[in-house]
Amino acid sequence: MGPGVPWYLAVSGTLFAIGATGVLLRRSPLIVLLSLEIMLNSGNLALVSFSRLFGTVDGQVFAIAVMAVAAAEVCVGLGLIVAMARRNLPLDVDLLRELRG
Amino acid sequence: MGNFLVWVIWILAALACLGTGLAVVSFSNPFFSALALIGNLASLAVLYLLASAEFVAAAQILVYAGAVMVMFLFVIAYLGGRADTPWAGGPGWMQLGALVAGAALLVEVLVALLLKAGGRLSDEAAVPTSFGSPAEIGKLFLTDHLLAFEITSIVLLVAAVGGVVLGTKASAEDDGS
Amino acid sequence: MMVAGAWLCLLAPLAGALAITLAGTRISRRTAGWVSTLSVFAGFAGALASFLATAGRDAADREELSTAWTWLAAGDFRIGLQILVDPLALTMMLIVTGVGGLIVWYSMGYMAGEDEERRYFAYMALFVFSMLMLVQGGNLLLLLVGWGLVGLASYLLIGFYHDRPEAVAAAKKAFLMNAIGDATMALGFFLLIAKTGSLDFTTAFDAASRGELSSSTTNLVALGLLGGAVAKSAQLPLHTWLPDAMEGPTPVSALIHAATMVTAGVYLIVRTHPLFEAAPDVQHLAAVIGAVTLLVAGVIALVQNDIKRVIAYSTMSQIGYMFLGAGIGAYSAAMFHLLTHAFFKALLFLAAGVVIHHLAGEQDIRQMGGLKRFMPTTSAVFLIGSLALVGIPPLSGFWSKDAIIASALADGGALGWTLFVVALLGAFLTGLYTFRLYYLVFHGEPSQCVLDHAGGHGDHAHGPESAAAHAGHSHAEGPQSMLIPVGVLAVLAAVGGLINIPGLWHPFSSWIGEVAEPLVEPSTGQDYLTSLIAVTLGVAGILIARSAFGAGRELVASPGVRAALEHKLYFDELYDALFSRPAQALAARLRDDVEAPVVQRSLVQIGRGTREAAGEVARLQSGLLRTYALAIAASVVVLAVVFLVVR
Repeated sequence: MGPGVPWYLAVSGTLFAIGATGVLLRRSPLIVLLSLEIMLNSGNLALVSFSRLFGTVDGQVFAIAVMAVAAAEVCVGLGLIVAMARRNLPLDVDLLRELRG
Repeated sequence: MGNFLVWVIWILAALACLGTGLAVVSFSNPFFSALALIGNLASLAVLYLLASAEFVAAAQILVYAGAVMVMFLFVIAYLGGRADTPWAGGPGWMQLGALVAGAALLVEVLVALLLKAGGRLSDEAAVPTSFGSPAEIGKLFLTDHLLAFEITSIVLLVAAVGGVVLGTKASAEDDGS
Repeated sequence: MMVAGAWLCLLAPLAGALAITLAGTRISRRTAGWVSTLSVFAGFAGALASFLATAGRDAADREELSTAWTWLAAGDFRIGLQILVDPLALTMMLIVTGVGGLIVWYSMGYMAGEDEERRYFAYMALFVFSMLMLVQGGNLLLLLVGWGLVGLASYLLIGFYHDRPEAVAAAKKAFLMNAIGDATMALGFFLLIAKTGSLDFTTAFDAASRGELSSSTTNLVALGLLGGAVAKSAQLPLHTWLPDAMEGPTPVSALIHAATMVTAGVYLIVRTHPLFEAAPDVQHLAAVIGAVTLLVAGVIALVQNDIKRVIAYSTMSQIGYMFLGAGIGAYSAAMFHLLTHAFFKALLFLAAGVVIHHLAGEQDIRQMGGLKRFMPTTSAVFLIGSLALVGIPPLSGFWSKDAIIASALADGGALGWTLFVVALLGAFLTGLYTFRLYYLVFHGEPSQCVLDHAGGHGDHAHGPESAAAHAGHSHAEGPQSMLIPVGVLAVLAAVGGLINIPGLWHPFSSWIGEVAEPLVEPSTGQDYLTSLIAVTLGVAGILIARSAFGAGRELVASPGVRAALEHKLYFDELYDALFSRPAQALAARLRDDVEAPVVQRSLVQIGRGTREAAGEVARLQSGLLRTYALAIAASVVVLAVVFLVVR
């Protein structure tokens, strides 16, 4: 009935690749965070699909935990971005290079 | 007929998912990217419903699309013009590298799925109608995965405190400067 | 008992040395001296116990090899920490600890008040231990260990007065020349391991005596051993270090460079006699080297003016006799002479030490004279020692030296006759130089130096006569700790030879003969004939010396010969030009051309290169977040590929 699990996993993998490309490609930290969200969601989709495959609910439980963690992460990340903006730092990951060796 | 409908909905939702995903990555205006992400989350919720994960779908809409994305939109609105940075830049080889990495990941996933997993992914288990209900999930959260539950709540607490600290510090220095 | 005594003998001096070293300045100097002396005498007790136990056994049963543990195991090659107790080893043990103990006791008086006295006593105990390890070593490797250690102890003791550059140079010279010998010995051992796979005495000796080794192998091994023996015993051509070694304190000269260490070469030849017998040419070479050294040392001694140097050349000459004996196969005769020589040579050195001590460090015999009046006891013992050295009956030297000369006569052949004549000539020379020394030091008018040092003691009308009564009193000839050992040695030098009288009884020859059967045995008639000639020649030498002294003449008048002899036949200059200068020039060239530009510059280059490479690597840390993220993504891709492929 409906598409099988491999289809879901294909979508999940493709989303992951898209998200990864976004993280690597964009310079605005906001867009990077958004791409990061896409990756997390793709993981969630995979978890739910496998839970459907094996018939156990643990995958969905894990997906909910991931959601909670993602929310926490966004909270902190946005806090950082706002702090940076308040200090008039450029919102460009290429220009923020104090980690330079 | 029912099967056909399921397939149609599924394909539409999947296409929407992927399309909005690409949109998030491509738009130069972060506001539009955030809106595209909301659409992504919604289509994902549909997919969850089709996979008998009702509670997860609901949580997705309420929490993710409802709260998290609203936070994002707040910040984007606050930052206004400062958020408009060029689409891509930096070393040329970085762009190429990024695209190659993304493509490689994609290929790998597809290879893993199609060639390696073989037939093992096709036997779906039979599930009762109460499969994705809150009762089931709640039962697991409070028995097998109690530790994860508690730790997650601590993580949320820490994030909340951290957000406040970041905000307060910033405001203190801002007032002082 | 036999083995336990031997282990006690070996380890007691080591314990003494360690005790003194560890106690450091917490013990007084006298205590250090007593610890050293008593540890050596404890060793003597052990050796004596072992000797009595061994003598009590049957003749065939007198050899025991005792292993403490397996020390070295490399493949099939195993070496144990072994000691061998047999008549030969016991003889050496008794000599080393007995004479050594007396000399260390003597040093307590001689070295009293010296700087760093405790260090001296620690070194002396170390030396005794090393020498015992050499003679007791149950296999060739341990012998080599002892060999090296005595070289070290010799270096430390010769250079004891390390503020004096001459002493330091002499110590270096001794060590270097000994190192040459060590190297040849080691090469010989390597060859032995290669051919027989072991350094055990029995394996090596059986292989040699059964003819299992090729003649080139035996010749090379024997040559290697001979090289070591020649270096250690200061025979030509590796002899130049011994006169210089007199820079060390007099007891050191007595112990190391007269009684024990320099005789190690003779011991080596007797111990490894099967190897030498399998290489007869090398054995005869040893005899020839001994003969040549005998003569050369004898003539050089005729013109030396330092009391210790005369005795040193005399040592060299007497060891030449021992080499001669060992070289023709008269092993027990050589060992007998080793024994008696230890007695009378140590006596001579110690008596000379009393003289030097009395004259506050004066060693030039031209400054001495007429000491007999002031030091009659010393004069008497010196006379005893000198007569023993020349070989006047019934003193000890007579019995042993004539045994060797008679063996040369018994050997016959061209070699035997040549050696016989040379040995007799040597007896004549011995008489000459020994009594030149005696007369110049003790007879005649007292010199100014003697009067200066003896004058203060002259108001004792009964002064030096009752030296024994005033034991320990500084107005006596010397402290009791110095005079008693001298007295004991005088007695031994006088009667020590009576343990082997040809024709009557020969316990010593049979004793040594169990280990090393002699190749030649003189008949009683040959013995008596030789003795007659040798004694006559010796007495002739004494009389000529006496008349030369009476007339105030020097023994060697012709200036050219005198100059050559005073320069010790120019050996030092030769070695300097042949070896020392080129080596120094080469070292300087290497330092300028190789070390500075290549080695030191390369270090700088390595530093610079490392820094540059680090700079290149640091460029990886661009600080760009996206680069780091790309790196992570790439790694994930690679890992996934690996997993996919492998599984």
